[in-house]
Amino acid sequence: MEDLLEFVVDFALRMGADYAEARFQSDITETVTLKNGVPDASTLSETEGLSVRVIFKGALGFASTNRLNRRASKEAAKRALEGAKAASKAVRLGVEMGGGELGRGRVEVRPRVSFEHVDMDARLELLKEADGRALEAVKDVGAHLPARIFTLDTWTTEKTIITSDGVNVSSSTPRVALSVFMTAYHPQRGTAQRFFDLGEAAGWEAVERWNLTRLFREEAYSLGKVLMEAEKPPKGVVDLVLGPEVIGLVSHESSGHPSEADRILGREAAQAGETYLKKDSLGMKVGSQLVNVVDDPTIERSFGFYLYDDEGVKARRRVLIKEGVINEFLHNRETASVFGVESNGASRASAYNREPIVRMANTFLEPGDYTFEELVEDVKEGVYIKNFMEWNIDDRRLNQRYVGLEAYRIEGGEVKGLVRNPVLEVTTTGLWSAVDAVGRDLQFQAAYCGKSDPMQGIPVWTGGPHTRLRGIRLGGRT
Amino acid sequence: MKRTELPSRIVDLALNLGATDVAVKLIERKRTMIRFSNNEVTAFKSYREALIDIFLMVGKHRAGSTISLSPLKKVESAVERLIKVAKMSPPADVYAPLPKGPFRYDPSLLKPSKVSLAPRRLVGHVEAAIKGALEAGAKRAAGSLTATKTQTVLATSGGAQGTQEKTSLEISVRAFTSEVSSGHFVSIAQDEESFRPEEAGRIAGEIAVSALNPTPGKPGRYTALLGPLVFADLVSQVGVLSSAFLVDVGQSFLAGRIGSEVASEEFTLLDDPTLSGSYGARAFDDEGVPTRRNTIVDRGVLETYLHNSTTAKKFDTETTGNAGLIVPRPWNLVVEPGDKTFEELLSEIDRGLYVTNDWYLRYQNYRTGDFSTIPRDGLFLIKGGEVEGAVRELRISDNMIRVFKNIRALSKSRFWIKWWEVEVPTLTPYAVVEDLNFTKSTM
Repeated sequence: MEDLLEFVVDFALRMGADYAEARFQSDITETVTLKNGVPDASTLSETEGLSVRVIFKGALGFASTNRLNRRASKEAAKRALEGAKAASKAVRLGVEMGGGELGRGRVEVRPRVSFEHVDMDARLELLKEADGRALEAVKDVGAHLPARIFTLDTWTTEKTIITSDGVNVSSSTPRVALSVFMTAYHPQRGTAQRFFDLGEAAGWEAVERWNLTRLFREEAYSLGKVLMEAEKPPKGVVDLVLGPEVIGLVSHESSGHPSEADRILGREAAQAGETYLKKDSLGMKVGSQLVNVVDDPTIERSFGFYLYDDEGVKARRRVLIKEGVINEFLHNRETASVFGVESNGASRASAYNREPIVRMANTFLEPGDYTFEELVEDVKEGVYIKNFMEWNIDDRRLNQRYVGLEAYRIEGGEVKGLVRNPVLEVTTTGLWSAVDAVGRDLQFQAAYCGKSDPMQGIPVWTGGPHTRLRGIRLGGRT
Repeated sequence: MKRTELPSRIVDLALNLGATDVAVKLIERKRTMIRFSNNEVTAFKSYREALIDIFLMVGKHRAGSTISLSPLKKVESAVERLIKVAKMSPPADVYAPLPKGPFRYDPSLLKPSKVSLAPRRLVGHVEAAIKGALEAGAKRAAGSLTATKTQTVLATSGGAQGTQEKTSLEISVRAFTSEVSSGHFVSIAQDEESFRPEEAGRIAGEIAVSALNPTPGKPGRYTALLGPLVFADLVSQVGVLSSAFLVDVGQSFLAGRIGSEVASEEFTLLDDPTLSGSYGARAFDDEGVPTRRNTIVDRGVLETYLHNSTTAKKFDTETTGNAGLIVPRPWNLVVEPGDKTFEELLSEIDRGLYVTNDWYLRYQNYRTGDFSTIPRDGLFLIKGGEVEGAVRELRISDNMIRVFKNIRALSKSRFWIKWWEVEVPTLTPYAVVEDLNFTKSTM
């Protein structure tokens, strides 16, 4: 493959490109699905091909093909260049590739238990057993679980990237991903629904570690309890304790996304939107001193793991908010050149036929030193929101809403009964400024982050510890 | 062997290896996308792909695969592997054989349309859109243009054989007059004749100009005038969640409501892929069944879910020609028009909000339809039948069934909408919805 990519890069340069980059990517995915206790079609998907990216007089051209031969690759390079030439007439400022620690080398994540050792029927049997536990657990609280769908993916990504300025990196990354959706029902109480993902860059051993039978039982039991027992949440101003699942999403949505430098430049304006941050917002206070938000692709086993990004820049940990202050943006080489900095390795593409753009990897609130009990003990009146269903945020990343699913009233320093759908609807600075204590129990969950056009869904982790917010006025659906 | 004969060849191969049912689709796609922002092109992207989708059944055992178009030997080994996977997978609850042909397809839906992928020509469309926005008064414009040519060759063990060539053009333009004042519009078409990039830019620019100097909006219940972009987003929820598969797994507020009122009498929704010349027109579905015009909601009453043959068997009905081999889906949504002009709709609202666009729609509960979504771009306060000024920072937080039951009137004029937030092409009017709930951040 290296030979083919080098050939393409050389060809593009000979044709007049100022910069050329060729990337091979193969994604092989096997999926089993259990729907309402019954297997649906198992699927195998092989998405592989190569892309070429060129710069010609400041215009960026990208072309892809899934035919892996010299003729098709040459033709792709021509298309990228022709496009860039045509586009150069409608370019004013233009694009340059900024600096960064350009890589040469190979990264392999080796699975301990290879996917091929686990047949499709064994995978479905595991889901079926877990499904059975979920059904029993809901019955224990007097409800039913009439609708559920679980998908389990094993997914192997191979990449090789070669550029005209010396990058030569390749990687092999296996991933496992589980997606769970369940509906609890009771004739008088109606329905409650729960959705979550698990994912890691690892072999089948991750699934064994997840202990799905226990996990499904616990999740279904909690969902059933929410349906059967949750009462109206308190009104007015209360303290909140947010669970890792919620604070992880908050970190992703209201710290990670606004820090993407391509949004600051308006590149995503018509799709995923812009940001309230500007080029000169470094140093701006957005939260309490306890708030430290990090994005780190180098965490082993993480769903968003990589050591070289898709421009071949060495990945590193990025501190987005440091002690409540905007500290660093996420950059690829293109945005880095505009900002006059080096790329910090945040360039990712979801497939061979997608251009690399600025993305998060694993975004989380750094842990503090409180235990969960310490967070709760001096809350007079509050709500603990463990997880959520509904959420959204405006396209400048200022106004957001998270509606709790499993949530509890806190009274006199103790966690009490379940409350139904408490609404946290606040501004970004309002939320981060209200943080007055951060737990020590960092936990992560998997998600797929969507951005760009065509849409690129990429695997990420979001995370954080239990976190306390003071004096929040709960919202509500009137 | 001609490339177009490959699907039939794979069908025969899979049957010989023990499959009871096989559907094979060869897709060859050429696509160009140009992205632009701050009034200049930021990326020119050109895609070529040739893919083979194979779906097969060994009785109740089902498996599917997507691979790159490859030499026959590699395809053969992929089929062998897929047969093994199907046999190894536990059985599904129903076995519905693929529908038996031969089928006749509407020739008007098979007639190829024309779109040029010449780079200069496509850059010209982008320049026209930016010009439209700037001439309307915008300071900057961003968006994307996509031009696509696709050939699909389908063969099934049921005897279906079809070749469909399709083209499309779409542009999405967002225009800004300030950081917080913007407008958005789109144009989508099957061919260049009905493609209007400059008009999309102009409308986006006009909304952005009107949206200048927004003041914080007040939460509460309002009569809402919903523009085509936001109404299309809500309508496509009804269209997509009418898929019987999603109903079955609890991801639809339409579950258990066939024959019931799910919207006001003003609202009729069709899935009509037989509208020759429109963006989402197509002759056959993924099982080779000829597509047809389906009325999903008729004057407020839910008439049908969308089916493939498997979901149809499970629901004890017939396929609606909407396969998706696993998940049925709508092709081309059409809302029947109302009888009023935009100006009449506006003039009848005493106190309300005019919402031009939204994004980020998420459900608290798909089964009940409780959701929220965020207005973006121009959002305007209406007083005494006139737009009084721009507002911001509000969120629609309501229930889908309630929203659709509260539709009071629709406009005569309709627009084809498809963009980042609305994946299914949807022909939609302006809509007036009573008593729509808006919330905002509490701190």
